[in-house]
Amino acid sequence: MQPIKNPFARAVIYLVLSLFVIWSFIPLFWTLLQSFKTVLDANSFPPLLFFTPTFDNYTQLWLDKIPETFPPQLFALLTILVGLVFVAIFVRRLPFSRAILYWGIAGLVVLSLWTIPQVVSVAEFYGYFVNTLIITTGTVAVSISIGCLAGYGLARFAGIEGVIILVTALAFRALPRMAFVLPYYWLGSMTGLRDTYFLVIICLVAVNQPFTIWMLRSFFMEIPREIEEAAMMDGAGRLESFLRVIIPITWPGIISTALFTVLLAYNEFMLVLVLTQSNWTLPVAMAQFTGGEDPGYITMASAAAVSATIPIVILIIFFQKQLVKGLAAGAVKG
Amino acid sequence: MKRKTFYQFTGPSIFLMLALMILPLIMAIWLGFNYVTYRNLSAPVFTGLDNYVDVLSDPRFWESFRFTLLLIVITVPTQMILGFVMALLLDQIAMQLRGVYLAAMLLPFIVVPVVGTLMFKQLWEPSGLMAWVYQVITGQAFYYTEASVKALIILHTIWNTTPFALVVFFAGLQTLSPELLEAAAIDGANRLQQIQHIALAHLQPLFVFVGLISIMDVYRIFDNAFVLTLLNPIYHANTLMLYAYQVAMRVERLDKASAMAVLTVIGIMIVLIPFLVNTYRSQMQER
Repeated sequence: MQPIKNPFARAVIYLVLSLFVIWSFIPLFWTLLQSFKTVLDANSFPPLLFFTPTFDNYTQLWLDKIPETFPPQLFALLTILVGLVFVAIFVRRLPFSRAILYWGIAGLVVLSLWTIPQVVSVAEFYGYFVNTLIITTGTVAVSISIGCLAGYGLARFAGIEGVIILVTALAFRALPRMAFVLPYYWLGSMTGLRDTYFLVIICLVAVNQPFTIWMLRSFFMEIPREIEEAAMMDGAGRLESFLRVIIPITWPGIISTALFTVLLAYNEFMLVLVLTQSNWTLPVAMAQFTGGEDPGYITMASAAAVSATIPIVILIIFFQKQLVKGLAAGAVKG
Repeated sequence: MKRKTFYQFTGPSIFLMLALMILPLIMAIWLGFNYVTYRNLSAPVFTGLDNYVDVLSDPRFWESFRFTLLLIVITVPTQMILGFVMALLLDQIAMQLRGVYLAAMLLPFIVVPVVGTLMFKQLWEPSGLMAWVYQVITGQAFYYTEASVKALIILHTIWNTTPFALVVFFAGLQTLSPELLEAAAIDGANRLQQIQHIALAHLQPLFVFVGLISIMDVYRIFDNAFVLTLLNPIYHANTLMLYAYQVAMRVERLDKASAMAVLTVIGIMIVLIPFLVNTYRSQMQER
């Protein structure tokens, strides 16, 4: 639409939009403040906007026993972890092959996460964090691998089965999760798989599969058929041309889908709640922080909420373009 | 692509969906016809329609049904109107600022739902910021009561779902042809008429899309009601999914909860079937 010229009206527009931003941000802002307060400050009324910040809540949340002196090994490990995140960001501008570097970084991150509990005694929250990482990584790996194959097949096949599969998948995406989760629970209890990573990952892959194949299919459909036909002329098989030619071209779209799958797996609450007993992920563990008479729970819950949000924020900063692209693709296509 | 190759490619995915979506749904239907609790998980007793009768004569089921309907009736139109207005306003501001505003507004949509609810709840705790604002304005302290907890669930749902409508409508507005608007302006249509006759007409399919998606999403809402009520029955603020969860996990009646899940699946068909028919038609044309 043509822009409004009237300066007063424009000021009102900026004001309304800023108010909406405040409305979106105020819970995070307040929780952030609460997480840096002492229990006394957090429970004071009227609420305090100015106070002396403290990191105690975070130390208490992540560490079981707070060490007398801060162990230098932990400091070194944390430095390595933060350093790796920066390297991963800047390495995007390097000319040489990134694959080896990314695998190296991933390996080092896993190694540091494994070493930290050997150096300091960590609290349960650390375990939930590691659980979440394992479940999210597993779900994304399986979901994207089989989703790419299916999405490509659905993009290239003209038969009616393709449409039926897509529409059925869409129907199952829209159905209330409870209808699958209760049978999963029953299955899990009967086979003894309840509370294992395997069951949670495989169920998460299944419930997210409709979304994954729809989104990946839309990216594969943008690739002209001539490209793989040319590769197949040169003697490559269907699978080979798919792996060698199509996948590299579609890579940005695949990353975008993977990003949404990460969010879906990281956010999942009900399914993990029903399928686990103690191997909780962060959302399920967080729900435990919400109740109780203990006045200290406000600061702990705030620190936990902020801690659980940081990985997502890093991810979003890192993959901002893909997120917007994915949202736009999903939105315009419907 | 040949049919055989198609099945080779889609095989793993189809197998997984058959095994872990279609089969569970059939199992849920079957569990609904049996007596199953935690003591006889491996030996269900067939009881026919008993569970369904039990569900349909359960006043707490109807209570959660009414509350879920109330949630839909209030939040879906609100988020669509709010999202549309914000999209129109966002369309008016300078290009460079749009991204920043949009990114900031997307926050409630991206943050983990449970965590977002927890953050939202922090505002209303006895020492929270909004609880204080409430006290300053009304002169009364803010308590968690039936009415206030229900209001918080409604408010949080709006907070959480509006960004989705906003992004979709904003993306839709970008595809609006400027020529059409210019022509309308030359013909003397004022801004309101342009919005009404051109923007709204252009966005109509997106309105239907967002409306249907939101109805289905709010219908199965669980996370925020769980965190805000903490399964405490005194608020009478169960949603359908939350009540089914309680029957399954707290009352330990897996069978009755399955019957309830099946009934909610049947309930959503009213909205789902037109949506699916629509998708089927457009996919057949595209093919």
